[in-house]
Amino acid sequence: MKKMTYNEAYDELEKLVHQLEDDSIKLHTLAEKVVRANQLIAICEDKLRAIECEVKSNLKILMI
Amino acid sequence: MPLPKIKLSELVEHIQETIQDRFEGEVFWVTTQIVDVKKQESSRRCYLKFIEKEGNNIITEVRGVFWSFYYSQIEDFEKFTNQKFADGIEITCLVRVRFHPKFGLSLEALQLDFAHTLGTLEMERQQTLDRLLNENPKNIRLIDGTYRTFNHSLQFPLLIKRIALITAPNSDGQRDFRQETERNKHGYSFVIKEFLTQIQGDTAHLLILQQLHLIESQKENFDVVVIVRGGGSQTDFKPFDHYEICRYIAGFPLPIITGIGHDRNTSIADMMARQQKTPTKVASLIVDHNLDFENNLIALKERFFNNVSALLEDAKNDLTRMKRFVKLASPSTILKKGFAIVMVDNKIITDPKKIKVDSIIQTLLKNEVISSTVILKEKNEKDDL
Repeated sequence: MKKMTYNEAYDELEKLVHQLEDDSIKLHTLAEKVVRANQLIAICEDKLRAIECEVKSNLKILMI
Repeated sequence: MPLPKIKLSELVEHIQETIQDRFEGEVFWVTTQIVDVKKQESSRRCYLKFIEKEGNNIITEVRGVFWSFYYSQIEDFEKFTNQKFADGIEITCLVRVRFHPKFGLSLEALQLDFAHTLGTLEMERQQTLDRLLNENPKNIRLIDGTYRTFNHSLQFPLLIKRIALITAPNSDGQRDFRQETERNKHGYSFVIKEFLTQIQGDTAHLLILQQLHLIESQKENFDVVVIVRGGGSQTDFKPFDHYEICRYIAGFPLPIITGIGHDRNTSIADMMARQQKTPTKVASLIVDHNLDFENNLIALKERFFNNVSALLEDAKNDLTRMKRFVKLASPSTILKKGFAIVMVDNKIITDPKKIKVDSIIQTLLKNEVISSTVILKEKNEKDDL
């Protein structure tokens, strides 16, 4: 699976919050949404502080 | 009568006296180009040549000198004009004529006219700005006295992480920028790739341009470009007023932040990009940008979990209400209140028409069931029950 970028994670988190605020999230799916939100937050938080390294010699930088 | 033969020194002495007599006590303001500038900082002297050109040909050339007493003029010149006192520039300078038997004719410089140089620089600068506007109408506009470029319009990504750094090797700017980003108190990490180049001198603009090309060729690897240089004694920022560099910056596809480090003046390159006063401030801008992102993330996280809590709380309240309602509506509650349930053949009867006279009905009370035969049916007149 392609790794999600922090941009996508942030967008999805924003969407989740809006859905919650619109009451469009059903109670029985709440638990899975919480798990998802935690994943998304972790992706964004990681991006702030994780040390990324350059790969290969062609100066490509690892995208997370 | 043959001319008397004299020694060389006698002739030269004669020349010297003639020149001295003619120019004694006189000074002149001269506008001239300077070359072969040799500054001797230790003895505070500066030797140079004053030249005048016609096209590419030097038509006049005289040696010149700033003695130590006048050396501060050069330092002040550099301070006020942000222009390095170096080969190729034009100056206006107060001189007196000197002749030395061994070193020949020279001009002793006494004073520099800063205003003239500032004027020339300002004119050149304005010409460059006008040309930028005229030749790049798509990328550069003048709006309410401020230059707005394509580069200005580029948004930073949510997070600035991968930085292409253009700087001079081992410079103060390089050190300040790296220190401030890498030791930021929030612990944010960055990937900084350096594109080292000379930042002053006649070819600097070409070298900087080369590095910008190199970055552009791998632009997907970077979030922003940072151009920094240390302040201090480096006063020449001519490369950053160079047309080609400024044009390139204005249309560059990644946001560029400059920290060229001058409080007295702004280079044209600064005006084409996002300008910060110093390399340290560029670094703070980037760290603060990421801090904003983190704060937004924290706010979003709080909103999410507050909403989840509220949702669960609501559900819990709904449930409690429902339970209470069910309890109120349950037969046992009703029976306890003195109501009764009427059944025929173990079926609850809500429609009195189904009960016939002489049939047997069961009446459910709190603790007992009473069976009875119906002897009479009448209309219920108490409709306020």
